[in-house]
Amino acid sequence: MNTAVAAAKPAETAGATSVSVVVKDIVQEYPAETGGVTRVIDRVTLSFDKPGINMLLGPSGCGKSTLLHMLGGVRPMGVRTPTSGSVLIDGSECQGAHDDSVMVFQRYANRPDLSVFDNVAFPFRLKLWKSRVPEAEWRQRVADMLKAVGLADKAGLRPAQLSGGQNQRVALARALVLRPKILLMDEPFGALDAQTREEMQRLLIDLYRSWPCLVVFVTHDVTEALMLGDRVIVLSTQPARVADDFVVGEARPRSAAWQRSAEAQGLEERILNQLHASPGKGQVRVTI
Amino acid sequence: MREFWNPYAPPDPQRRRLLGVGSVLALLLLWSAVAASGLVSATKLPAPWQVVSAFGYLAWNDGQSMLLTATLWSVGRLIVAGLLVILIGIPIGIVMGAAPQVNAALSPLVDPFRSAPVVALLPILVMWMGIGESMKIAFLFIGAVVYLIPMVRDAIQAVPQSYWIGARDLGATPWECIRSAVVPMAMPRIADAVIVAFSVMWTYITVAEYVNAREGLGQLIQNARRFSAWDQVFAGIMVIIALALATYQLMIWLKRRLYPWETQQ
Repeated sequence: MNTAVAAAKPAETAGATSVSVVVKDIVQEYPAETGGVTRVIDRVTLSFDKPGINMLLGPSGCGKSTLLHMLGGVRPMGVRTPTSGSVLIDGSECQGAHDDSVMVFQRYANRPDLSVFDNVAFPFRLKLWKSRVPEAEWRQRVADMLKAVGLADKAGLRPAQLSGGQNQRVALARALVLRPKILLMDEPFGALDAQTREEMQRLLIDLYRSWPCLVVFVTHDVTEALMLGDRVIVLSTQPARVADDFVVGEARPRSAAWQRSAEAQGLEERILNQLHASPGKGQVRVTI
Repeated sequence: MREFWNPYAPPDPQRRRLLGVGSVLALLLLWSAVAASGLVSATKLPAPWQVVSAFGYLAWNDGQSMLLTATLWSVGRLIVAGLLVILIGIPIGIVMGAAPQVNAALSPLVDPFRSAPVVALLPILVMWMGIGESMKIAFLFIGAVVYLIPMVRDAIQAVPQSYWIGARDLGATPWECIRSAVVPMAMPRIADAVIVAFSVMWTYITVAEYVNAREGLGQLIQNARRFSAWDQVFAGIMVIIALALATYQLMIWLKRRLYPWETQQ
């Protein structure tokens, strides 16, 4: 695995790509079915100024995905987002989809009609990337990336011939092959079984080491947040507010022993206390 | 019999073929029995063997094949009209599916025709275009395109939004999203629309060729009817059914070749 990751490491641009993302006083409201409005995000302010894995942890349905989508400039139809507040990327306001970030969705949006290779190469056939990356280079990048995610021998297969975890590897490869400054992950491993989820977490750690960017990772899994995050931001139940925000110092990959340590147990308790303090109906998952 | 009332347990291929061929044979048998018994006069229901001999006569008589000539004419008209349906109907359907405002503007003009009596348009087309080839092609075209356009539009709208969002997030322009993410995903259903359009055209071909045709299967049937040659009418109808079926099978095969991923999903 490690040699493959090294192959994907872009020699000329290796190392941290610096980017700053500021989420300022974000409020999001949707029209409620009963009339009036439902507030799903309530004055959330956050700032990210260096590469790292940032976990946005909150109960299901708390509005954390909505927040993540705002960072990527992906807007739901028919609603003004955000209702108020702003998202600043490197100081300028984010209006719509932008080139600095790429998102990995829970439902991998792999194209069933394209091979694994063409799925990963998909963005390079768009005008934006075609003009930036010459074909010889992107072909090499795609090949390296497939090696890095362990799918080099599956390049010619179609998504239907892959497992769920392998499909999510394709989605991850397609995102990282663009060498984004910001990688947004919307519960990417939520639909996978426990064992595959762990494999994917390890893969993400490896990939992050070779391409350290600003990762914002949405999850409702407390264990996942503690195993992956440099920083864990806990959101309350709807409307989402920042309930807690702390740094996890332990180096990755974090061992099972660390998971059972007093430090990890303490953090877990702290998170659960925060979530229980805010009344609501959302669920979190603990798999320790 | 345990699997009789179970929609998820299809019979094995051999049994399926047996049942299919069996039902056709049963109908032929019933038909033969009724014809042979004299219950229905031969002027109303020709016997199967009479139809076969009429088929033979049409297929080869006096050094020429009326059937082949007629078939080539009908197929030719169908192909010309079909190409027009594809070249004009698919782009309109795609634009309607991709741009809701275009759909809002055009659907009141297109959708009602799905249930309109297209046959009733024939006199109007004759008035406008005369009784030549262009009228026949136009009739086939209109008859099929009013089915195809809404189906293509629905095919576009049925593509999950996640493909659009995903492409947009990767930096695609809205038009690129349509062209390189939405349309490719809609292609199998667009192919279904083309298959339906060709089926519809086969049903309309006889109507199109009723008016002043000198050649074609519709004319052949019409002509036979005029002389009360019912065996030839039956033979002509069966040829059309067989050709429609062959077209359908060919297009299904083509669709599977072009979009093998559709069934793998």
